[in-house]
Amino acid sequence: MDRLSHGFFSRSGVAVARSFFPLFAVAIIAGAMLWGPWVSLTVTVIAIAAALRLL
Amino acid sequence: MSDDARKATSPARPSRLLSHPQNFHCVIFHTICLAAYACAFWLYLHPTLVHITGLWSRIAFVTASAVVLGWISGIDVGVNFHNHSHRPIFTSHFVNRWFGRFWTFSGGWPSFFWEYCHVTVHHANLLNDDDWTLPKKNSDGSFENFQLYLFTHWPWRLSRHLWKALTARQSLRRRSLRELAIFLALWSIPFLIDPLMALWLWVLPHWIANAFVMNSGMYVQHSGCVEKTSVDPLKHSTVFMSNFFNLTMFNIGFHLEHHEHPRVHWSDLPQLHQRLKQDMLDDGAHVVPYGNYHAAFLLAGDDDRRKRFDAQDPRYTQ
Repeated sequence: MDRLSHGFFSRSGVAVARSFFPLFAVAIIAGAMLWGPWVSLTVTVIAIAAALRLL
Repeated sequence: MSDDARKATSPARPSRLLSHPQNFHCVIFHTICLAAYACAFWLYLHPTLVHITGLWSRIAFVTASAVVLGWISGIDVGVNFHNHSHRPIFTSHFVNRWFGRFWTFSGGWPSFFWEYCHVTVHHANLLNDDDWTLPKKNSDGSFENFQLYLFTHWPWRLSRHLWKALTARQSLRRRSLRELAIFLALWSIPFLIDPLMALWLWVLPHWIANAFVMNSGMYVQHSGCVEKTSVDPLKHSTVFMSNFFNLTMFNIGFHLEHHEHPRVHWSDLPQLHQRLKQDMLDDGAHVVPYGNYHAAFLLAGDDDRRKRFDAQDPRYTQ
């Protein structure tokens, strides 16, 4: 049972990790409901700068 | 498939629907991309929910949304659909064709056109004069300016080349017309909802996806490389070794391995890389420790920055 659940969580974890960028996009767009458009824009600019430097 | 490619391939059994178990990652990725567009459209039409109080806050929302939508569409078509064009993700031919059509329209492409450019033109003619998907070459064999390629290739140059190629034969012309009609029907949906919204949250992201994500990817993957010959068999593509980049980009960093064995499933590319590692070291393949994005940052810069791109990953020096 442990092995089964570990397998399930590791597989789901990889699937979530692979969709990191679309999930980030949803967070930026839908997150504007919580924190407003200016925070979304700021985080987007920081994310692009980080990607260009590190990725 | 060569011996190395066969040995690197995991014995994954296809399910009733998917041709490889890991292909469900591709479906999830594309579904979240479409959900992101739907979310952006809905919030654009309900501005008070996202604290839009005037022109400037609307510009802030549209800019942030268009950039992230463009970013993920570039990956969704340029990497995710790209894998499907080499190894269809479903077992049914019918589902593959229709899922493909619903895949690339959110990146500004009819699926058949993208597949034609990538498989029939790019892979078959890599780095020779007939590969019009890549940047033009200067007289010394180097690529044209990075920014020039980004801003002139999609859709301008591509449309001209595609028109010439796809109207050459009647059978191709008929299929292209049908695919274009299906694409236009799907692509026009956001315009029917709100034309201004479609301009900012549909056309603009598609331009960002193609110019900045897909074009820059094509540029960095083959910049400084030479056509495959018996003397230089493994200098046609650069390998990008960043773990996070490869995890989130369906292993597209293993680009040399991909061009050598395009039928190997994307999830098997790290194993193939290990098998080819010695050959790559022996033949002086270009390997860098980061991903496409940092490479684009380096190649978009001055001479000093461009030279940094030439530096080899220290783990891959003889």
